[in-house]
Amino acid sequence: MCVSCGCGAAASPISSHHAISVMEDLLSANDHEAQHNREHLDRHGVVAVNLMSAPGSGKTSLLESTIRALSAKGVRVAVIEGDLETENDAERIRRHGVPAIQITTGSACHLDAAMVHEALHHLDLDGIDILFIENVGNLVCPAEFALGQHWDVVLLSVTEGDDKPAKYPIIFRGAARVLITKGDLLPHIEEFDLDRAVEAVHDLDAEIPIDFLSAKTGAGMESWLDWLTGLIAEKQGQG
Amino acid sequence: MHEASIASALIGILNRQAALHGVLSMNRVTVRVGRLRAVEPRALVACFELMAENGPAEGAELVIESVPARGRCSSCGLDFEIERFRFRCTACRGTDIVLVSGEELYIESFETDDCDAARTGFQEG
Repeated sequence: MCVSCGCGAAASPISSHHAISVMEDLLSANDHEAQHNREHLDRHGVVAVNLMSAPGSGKTSLLESTIRALSAKGVRVAVIEGDLETENDAERIRRHGVPAIQITTGSACHLDAAMVHEALHHLDLDGIDILFIENVGNLVCPAEFALGQHWDVVLLSVTEGDDKPAKYPIIFRGAARVLITKGDLLPHIEEFDLDRAVEAVHDLDAEIPIDFLSAKTGAGMESWLDWLTGLIAEKQGQG
Repeated sequence: MHEASIASALIGILNRQAALHGVLSMNRVTVRVGRLRAVEPRALVACFELMAENGPAEGAELVIESVPARGRCSSCGLDFEIERFRFRCTACRGTDIVLVSGEELYIESFETDDCDAARTGFQEG
């Protein structure tokens, strides 16, 4: 019998506390929704790539350049844009003739699976081959929230520190691919050491492929584009 | 401040658990957070305290147990603590590391004085 109140439970004589074991993942609701999104995308044969970086690393410019190149190959692209306030990025994307759904997160510093779920309802998934999700510019919070994407890609521009992967290890370690962007500016930025940046990524995971590219000049874009077209071919081969 | 989202999810779980076990108040909630998660403990506690108001977890102490990052080297088999995110074996410098712990993010348990909960047959602490 419970010594503290006589309730009938076989309680510990030294404490009236009852510890109830729960063992539930704190992000299980988001993970469940993300899984749902991914199944939805899989049913329609759509590859989903989640682009993450600090603000100003060139995610939207990369997307514009990527859309131009993929559209020329006949690949059908759509974009979900996450931003705190404006529709500016979605408008930039729409100028390239591809559907773009803007999610304005207000004060939320990351996209979550429920937001992406809502956005997916506004897209004709049968009409697209690849979906890019441009996450909110932030190197911490987006790493924790699965969206239903198949692949995470993290950008690091040469105008940032080459030690950023060491400072934000969680997001870089989870990347399927890291893109070092704004490569055209490298000759002007002596502080950025490309070898150090590569080493900082490979300290986290020696297997992560890294592309060094410039969305502006197109230099170095081939291996990134080849990777994407390979993912689409593989996905459509499964269907 | 994604800790707000995590705290909100935690409160959601606790509210469901409270309803399930007939718990009106809680003394302590224990969560385990791996070192490889981007969770700042103070921010999580602050968000938890705010969001717990007017619910069964109001006033409960949130205990955050930090779980070290550990890896096992696939080359030499060494089990070691991964410090400063260096995924490199401290013995043979191998880079093929299998993660053993460090990515936990879950609620382990909560404690209550409400005896209805005890009658449903849970362990005492």
